[in-house]
Amino acid sequence: MRRLFLFITCLFALFIGAALLGLLAATPPAALVASLASPEIRFAVLLSLATSLVSTAICIALAVPIAYALDRYRFAGKRAATLVLTLPLALPPLVAGIALLLFFGTTPWGKALEQAGLAVVFTPLGIVVAEVFVNLPYLIRILRSAFSGVNPRFENVAKTLGCTDAGAFLQVTLPLARPALVAGGIITWSKAMGEFGAVLMLAGATPMRTETLPIALFLNISTGDLNLAVAAATILILISLATLCAVDLVDRGVNVF
Amino acid sequence: MLRIESLSVTLGAFSFRDVSLEVRENEYLVILGPSGAGKTVLLETIAGIHAPSSGRIFLRDREITSAEPRSRSFGMVYQDYALFPHRTVEENIAFGLRQRKVPPDEQRALVAEISALLEVGHLAERYPGSLSGGEQQRVALARALVLRPKVLLLDEPLSALDGPTRERMRTELVRVRRLTGTTVIQITHHLEDVFALADRVAIMHEGRIVQVGETGDVFLHPSDPFVAEFLGIGNIIRGRSSPAGRLARVETGGGPSFLAVSGVVGDVVATLHAEDVILSEAPFASSARNCLPGTVTEVVPCGSTVRVVLDAGFPLTALLTRESCRELDLGPGSRVYATFKASAVHVIPAAPRQDVAAGSAAGPEIG
Repeated sequence: MRRLFLFITCLFALFIGAALLGLLAATPPAALVASLASPEIRFAVLLSLATSLVSTAICIALAVPIAYALDRYRFAGKRAATLVLTLPLALPPLVAGIALLLFFGTTPWGKALEQAGLAVVFTPLGIVVAEVFVNLPYLIRILRSAFSGVNPRFENVAKTLGCTDAGAFLQVTLPLARPALVAGGIITWSKAMGEFGAVLMLAGATPMRTETLPIALFLNISTGDLNLAVAAATILILISLATLCAVDLVDRGVNVF
Repeated sequence: MLRIESLSVTLGAFSFRDVSLEVRENEYLVILGPSGAGKTVLLETIAGIHAPSSGRIFLRDREITSAEPRSRSFGMVYQDYALFPHRTVEENIAFGLRQRKVPPDEQRALVAEISALLEVGHLAERYPGSLSGGEQQRVALARALVLRPKVLLLDEPLSALDGPTRERMRTELVRVRRLTGTTVIQITHHLEDVFALADRVAIMHEGRIVQVGETGDVFLHPSDPFVAEFLGIGNIIRGRSSPAGRLARVETGGGPSFLAVSGVVGDVVATLHAEDVILSEAPFASSARNCLPGTVTEVVPCGSTVRVVLDAGFPLTALLTRESCRELDLGPGSRVYATFKASAVHVIPAAPRQDVAAGSAAGPEIG
């Protein structure tokens, strides 16, 4: 059994390695470097970085209070709230994207937002919205499990020692949840860099306007420009690798998946 | 000093109802009750962590029912100590001082002073995760006491410790309390804590306080079948202990004395389970070190067993099966011998008595 299981393990590891290396080898190195320096890929990198950083910041700002509330407070409708807030986890991003498209494109509040200057549909802002919508549930789950691992008595004691509610949270619970916060933030950012389905639906795939790295990959493979597609893919692979290493570094028993 | 009027709280599975208590200045009140009686929730409500659904709390005649925990100046020590794991011992102890924006110099002086009192100065740079249970306990006490709290709330402070450490820590609590003069409310499910520490005791059962009173009174006159049963050790004997070879001899003031396996000397309370007492018509040779003559005063059937109370110079209770009782033909007035092992006697140091009714000073308290 041991030999069979190890054989399967090695076989699949080899398969993944071969597939990824094959991708990198699909274009001559010189062409790859030229593609990486092309205006389109540079634009895609910058747009992806900007939108993913903004959406990650928003995710953290939202997930911290939501995860804390779901873990610590008793309130009516907690189960329903938990279900709804984590539902997008099981949703295909394409479905999330089309729901967002209809919400912002056809409803009165969506139109009101647009008139207020916050156009979401087919804009870079839409990229941020789509990334937040898809990634927030993951971060909520990670942080909720982190908060539930912190003894609630710490905050009780902190309050008797002179802290306000917020002070006790900021000085005791949050620092103790920091490894999860850092690891969760990195994962969220990496997922935002790679988000495709929801972004495609809500922000469209307009070259040089809503063209993130995955969109660039998609557009260029559609038009047969293999070199640019591989360049985008290469960057995404490197980001994935860097993410894994970074999470591994901060991961101290934090369960991020 | 602290007055609690008809306090009720429901918190998920835990609740208590209609609890009224009064704690006097510098008093050590022990709330005794089985696990799950709602004791911790009561303590947390006194500290202001939970809002009561009804009832009021007064501190020195000022109502604090809805005051925030930080404005009450109560110290809290949990059974699991709840030391902040990401801070050193020193930072833990200084935590409250920092919240109060005490100048750093003064912080250092106060931390050093309380650390010396609790003998944790050498641990200053360590993190709580590397401390033993007893050390964590001392640090948790220091963290609460450095603020000179008006009331110190102790949630089962000795339960998580192993036997010898618990004895040491209990002595330590007596010492620290004497030095700081703090008013203390402690909850526990250990009877020993009551004798070693309490001025008064409140018995809690199913979310209610069923009896409050001077420790001796409560044991002499349980007001409630639950109290009697919960305290149903059988024999609680007050006396003076002195070394006797490897054992200790407990004198019961005028009455006879008996031997116990213990190193405790001075005023003590000895406990002896009624089922550990053997009755016989004549003394018999055995390995048990204690054999006292006595006269049966009471025979109380309870279920399949019988509780026999003797006058052996002090009231002594034995628990027998109905068959044994019949065979010995016991009734009030029967003369018997009570035999029990020195190792069956548990000796605990008695709390320094301040206001005990005259006459019970050295005599036996309950059978």
